[in-house]
Amino acid sequence: MSRPNTATPLERRYAMLGVILIAPTILVFCAVIVYPLFSAIYLSLFQIFTPTLQGSFVGLENYQRLFQRSEFWISLRNTLVWTIGTLTLQILLGVAMALVLHQNLWFRSLARSLILFPYFVSTVVAVLVWRWLFNDLYGILNHLMISVGLIDWPLDFLGSSPNAMISVILVGAWKYFPFVVIAVLARLQTIPEPLYEAAKIDGAGPIARFFDITLPQLREVLVVIILLRAIWDFKEFDLIFLLTGGGPLITTQTLPLLVYKEAFALNQMGMASAYAVVMMAIMLVFMVVYVLKTRNKDESR
Amino acid sequence: MTRRILFNLFAWSIVLAVAFPLFWMVVTSIKPQFELFRRPPTILPETVTFEHYWRLLKETNFLIYFRNSVVLSVATTVTVVSIATLGAYSLVRFRYRGRESLAFLVLFTYLLPSVVLIIPLYLMLVTLGLANSILSLVIAYTTFALPYALWLLRSFMAGIPEDLESAALVDGASRLGAFWDVILPQLLPGIISTALFTFILSWNEYLFALVLINSDSARPLTTGVMNMLVSSFNIEWSLLMAASVMMSVPLIIVFAFLQSYLTRGFGAGGVKG
Amino acid sequence: MADVVFSNVQKTFGTFTAVRDLDLTIRSGEFVSLLGPSGCGKTTTLRMLAGLEFPTGGTISIDGKVVNDTAPGKRDIAMVFQSYALYPHMTVAKNIAYPLKKRGVPAAERDQMVAKAAEMLQLTPLLNRKPGQLSGGQQQRVALGRALVRDPKVFLLDEPLSNLDAKLRGYMRAELVELHARLGRTMVYVTHDQLEAMTMSDRIAIMLNGDLQQFAPPQEVYRFPANRFVAGFIGTPSMNLIDGELTRAGSGWRFCAASLDVPVGPLNDMAQPGPACLGMRPESLSLGAGEQMAKVLLVEQTGHENIVTLQFAGQIRLTARTTAAQDLQMGADVAFAIDTSALHVFGPGETGPRLNRLLENKSSETDGQT
Repeated sequence: MSRPNTATPLERRYAMLGVILIAPTILVFCAVIVYPLFSAIYLSLFQIFTPTLQGSFVGLENYQRLFQRSEFWISLRNTLVWTIGTLTLQILLGVAMALVLHQNLWFRSLARSLILFPYFVSTVVAVLVWRWLFNDLYGILNHLMISVGLIDWPLDFLGSSPNAMISVILVGAWKYFPFVVIAVLARLQTIPEPLYEAAKIDGAGPIARFFDITLPQLREVLVVIILLRAIWDFKEFDLIFLLTGGGPLITTQTLPLLVYKEAFALNQMGMASAYAVVMMAIMLVFMVVYVLKTRNKDESR
Repeated sequence: MTRRILFNLFAWSIVLAVAFPLFWMVVTSIKPQFELFRRPPTILPETVTFEHYWRLLKETNFLIYFRNSVVLSVATTVTVVSIATLGAYSLVRFRYRGRESLAFLVLFTYLLPSVVLIIPLYLMLVTLGLANSILSLVIAYTTFALPYALWLLRSFMAGIPEDLESAALVDGASRLGAFWDVILPQLLPGIISTALFTFILSWNEYLFALVLINSDSARPLTTGVMNMLVSSFNIEWSLLMAASVMMSVPLIIVFAFLQSYLTRGFGAGGVKG
Repeated sequence: MADVVFSNVQKTFGTFTAVRDLDLTIRSGEFVSLLGPSGCGKTTTLRMLAGLEFPTGGTISIDGKVVNDTAPGKRDIAMVFQSYALYPHMTVAKNIAYPLKKRGVPAAERDQMVAKAAEMLQLTPLLNRKPGQLSGGQQQRVALGRALVRDPKVFLLDEPLSNLDAKLRGYMRAELVELHARLGRTMVYVTHDQLEAMTMSDRIAIMLNGDLQQFAPPQEVYRFPANRFVAGFIGTPSMNLIDGELTRAGSGWRFCAASLDVPVGPLNDMAQPGPACLGMRPESLSLGAGEQMAKVLLVEQTGHENIVTLQFAGQIRLTARTTAAQDLQMGADVAFAIDTSALHVFGPGETGPRLNRLLENKSSETDGQT
């Protein structure tokens, strides 16, 4: 929005104050976000050895090599499998749980707290607990599954493929579905009751009411949740890194893990930056859609 | 009535299944070592012991890590929330060129992956000679905490009626006077919410701590406890579970007393329906 | 002495013009209402006077001093907001004391002044409550108290009664009029309710789409509306407005629409033969006798009078007022007469100007353009 030149001194004084108040934010932003962001793109044009930080300019060579490496494509596929798998579970579980919690449940607020807890607990804690649950010798999961006759022999949850990917997806769903629950629950509480009463009078059963009223009302918020969670799941590092470290071999290695490995285990900072930039470019699609969606909503208010 | 009971049983069995890993964490942490390897496992411990907690505090670096995490999270929270409160006030209640674009830059950075920023940040902090210090982590944590706090506070700020500020101006307050007298008290619940979120985010952060810190004197809980897992010969699960419980103590306190602030933050943080 | 003068004031938001070329002089001690439908620019005008919006052109002065660059707090004004804007975390006493505190009034004196204002508004027992614990009417009085406590030069009131129920609104109208008489201060009152404007104001400024339409005392606005918009906006039920043709008839004029053909007396220089609009108040139609015939469509009984909707000459609808005693059947035909001495003629268009010669001079003298 452009200001006309006719701004009064008072108006200009206010604008100046506004700029002073935002100045610390801008300063910090430039130092720790904007500068590193451009720096990452710049670094991706170099070959840099991490321990010495000595580098030489290689232009777009990193990118050229990157697309030829099968490791990149495998990691990208892993990222997509992980994101789509865990996101689907999060949404299904989350919406179902929100519907349950929306009902008149005994000790509803206690139930809500218990559901919410995994989301806020540290990933480190979550991973430690799950690794103990997954333990092949003494883990309770193997014990339970054997005792009900589901399996005959203890499963290797994290050390074999495709078990590792499935386990990671499950733990991801467990950790992050509460986000969906809370967001959907908040929206459910704003659906006007008369809508349901009107549908009842018109003869709609519970299932028809869900599909004709609840779901359309949730559509908007679900789109936002899916976008947001897709972005966050796509860039997830801690959970996967701590559970499997990308293994066995590289069967659960997603793009963020690849960037980390390249930079701090293989000591190739330039190449790692190139991976990071490509990864961000892929995410940009979702980010732009999300930002535009939010902007539209902001303006319509 | 039976339908209600059945529904409740069904719902609660799901809730308990979701909460089971956390229950198991607590149970494991208070079982004696020998009971851990019993087959079949005991659901409730036969003997309750706090020896693992005692050993955790006495024989490991846990207390140092805990202190580092507290210092780190408090410092990050205070810095980020103060900067973001002023910034949010400016973004919502002032008019100047570029304000809208700035607001969406904030939203954009809020979605930015940490792995993109971590390499240049690492280089920057090494050059500045700050690596391996708590300060370096505070700086690194602002990269995700500041956009988050700004975005949250911005929508809390937008919820305060503009008339209140106008009334204060007419009553003789300056812009900053109105901010202090009228807006800040109204914003307080939002500030608490944002501070809790920022604190929890910092408390739980792992990647930056992994890359930027490699000495025990500055290491926070996340990487510290993970190190205990990796560095020991035989994994002592009871000890690790005790560490996990202790590490979750601040969170449990927040959950017990301040949970409404957490759910309020959800509504403000980008998922408004 | 606290004149408020708007001189050629403009306000645009982007490409949207909220207020256009506003010239308005409010005399010291006067109660002036800014009246108009929503979006007409009345609230923007008030907020510019308060210093909460900045004019994009022209000057605003209070008491002879241009205030364009004066911060709201330094303009010596007080304002009551539509939302009341009470500070939720402060008690009633602290709310009322806030403007005094900000002006450095010592605590002891402050308490005295708050007590006095509270007594005047019957708020004394509520002084230690928070706004959230008060009813709408009580909140309204606190907002008023916060404005009154300081004896400012000008009071600004932005639809202060619109959130009250009808009964309380009537009561507060009388209170405000009495308050104005007692304080003798300049008051600028924004409202979309013509009844409030008519009953309380010394003069009414009627606005539409950012333009001032007429600025005159209530009686004059009612009897000699400056244009078609004002004519239709003021009065309940509103004036009958009929589109038709104006023709010359000797030295005078006649107005025809369908089978209606009436002499409209002498008109001013703007009058031209061609499309025009005839206005007549519901009370200038008398039913039961006369040369015109119409069909009764609807009779609404308000108690002491009836509002009758007529269908005339096939498509023209007219509203008339009759006594409650007059018995009319829906669907029946009724004869009626038009009081031709009380007809208004306007030019074509939404804001077609008044064409009657009668009192044309007087209205231009008081419309504030001087």
